[in-house]
Amino acid sequence: MKIFAFANQKGGVGKTTTAVTLADGLARMKVKTLLVDLDPQGHLALSFGLEKSPGLYRLICLDEPLEKVAVRISANLDLLPGDKQTEKVKRQIAISDFREAILADILHEADYDAVLLDMAPSLDVLHINGLIAADWVVIPTRPDALALDGVKEILTTMAEINQNGHRYRGYSILPTFFDRTTRETFLQFQELAKTFGEHLWPPIPQDTRVRETVAYGKTLWDYSPNSVSMNGYKDGKQRLGGYKQVLARMLEVING
Amino acid sequence: MAEKKFERRTSLDPAVADLLSGMEQRQAESQLPRKERERLGRERAKIQSRREQRATYDLPPALREEIRVMSEDLRIPASQLVTLALARFMNDYNSGTIDLGKYKQPSRSPRYDWNLVFPDDLIRMKKKKG
Ligand SMILES: Nc1ncnc2c1ncn2[C@@H]1O[C@H](COP(=O)(O)OP(=O)(O)O)[C@@H](O)[C@H]1O
Ligand SMILES: [Mg+2]
Repeated sequence: MKIFAFANQKGGVGKTTTAVTLADGLARMKVKTLLVDLDPQGHLALSFGLEKSPGLYRLICLDEPLEKVAVRISANLDLLPGDKQTEKVKRQIAISDFREAILADILHEADYDAVLLDMAPSLDVLHINGLIAADWVVIPTRPDALALDGVKEILTTMAEINQNGHRYRGYSILPTFFDRTTRETFLQFQELAKTFGEHLWPPIPQDTRVRETVAYGKTLWDYSPNSVSMNGYKDGKQRLGGYKQVLARMLEVING
Repeated sequence: MAEKKFERRTSLDPAVADLLSGMEQRQAESQLPRKERERLGRERAKIQSRREQRATYDLPPALREEIRVMSEDLRIPASQLVTLALARFMNDYNSGTIDLGKYKQPSRSPRYDWNLVFPDDLIRMKKKKG
């Protein structure tokens, strides 16, 4: 089993969208997948047209079993939803023993091929729990002037965690809201490539379809499977970027 | 020139490298005077339209060789010879002068229902060589 955390202390960079789209993509490839909402905003449930609910709270504070609190979305996809009560989870964790590995302990025993953690844009105990549980951290980032700083912040937190005796985890940087015609995107993309080399995944194009999708309570796979955010840019016969290509990169991580 | 910088970097994701060099090219072009930019645009359009004319099929090597030799003998591009051959075949097929039935054998592939099996003497060079 591989656990992925989608992390960036900044909001609105595409963490939730990416986690939802890739989780549904994995499930469609017959990978048994759990999607976990670690954000008290509880947006994951809305992405599937469901109401928010205190799944994480019931799991950690009420000790209910994962099988009972996870919601079946489709044949290979379960959702552990969240809502405002997730705030209480943070308080509970803060006063527990072994508080940094609570989530890791629960998830490592779960029966899934892949677990995707949608993280809140904050640096608190739950965030640390998510990073510690993860085998692989995906850092979605907008290619703007502050992109590099945001990425470095997460990498610093990860390095601190590693120093505290936790095993090394891999990471990838995923440019989102990509507009290949603007000079700003170009310069930032170039900078990210120079700084992070092979850690840089192909980008997700900016696409108005993405915002519409949430309103319909569907994922891009159902609502708009051939949009540019899914297929990437056409370049002769090949496609560059887009969630389908990123899904292939993720499968390499899972199978590797 | 800027393009090379990223070609040398072997450690980039291949899609990232391709995207970057395309963007670098565009950025470099956007700094050029308008006339030059338009010329490059026309060239790109030409390459693009060429791409649409291109097709890939598997041919028996003997037949391919025969076309190559003919092209050299007659000093006519092979693509044009093949275009003529195919156009005439399509005419014959559409007018009912050609019957595929005698070549047809059931196929076991999930994608196709039939295979065409050709008699040995249809593709002549094969005989000459063998
Ligand atoms: N590639 C994209 N193109 C256009 N809009 C996007 C794209 N990705 C995400 N969005 C929109 O941007 C907003 C923020 O995205 P979200 O995934 O919620 O970010 P985060 O979880 O990091 O806060 C949402 O309204 C979402 O629909
Ligand atoms: Mg979010």
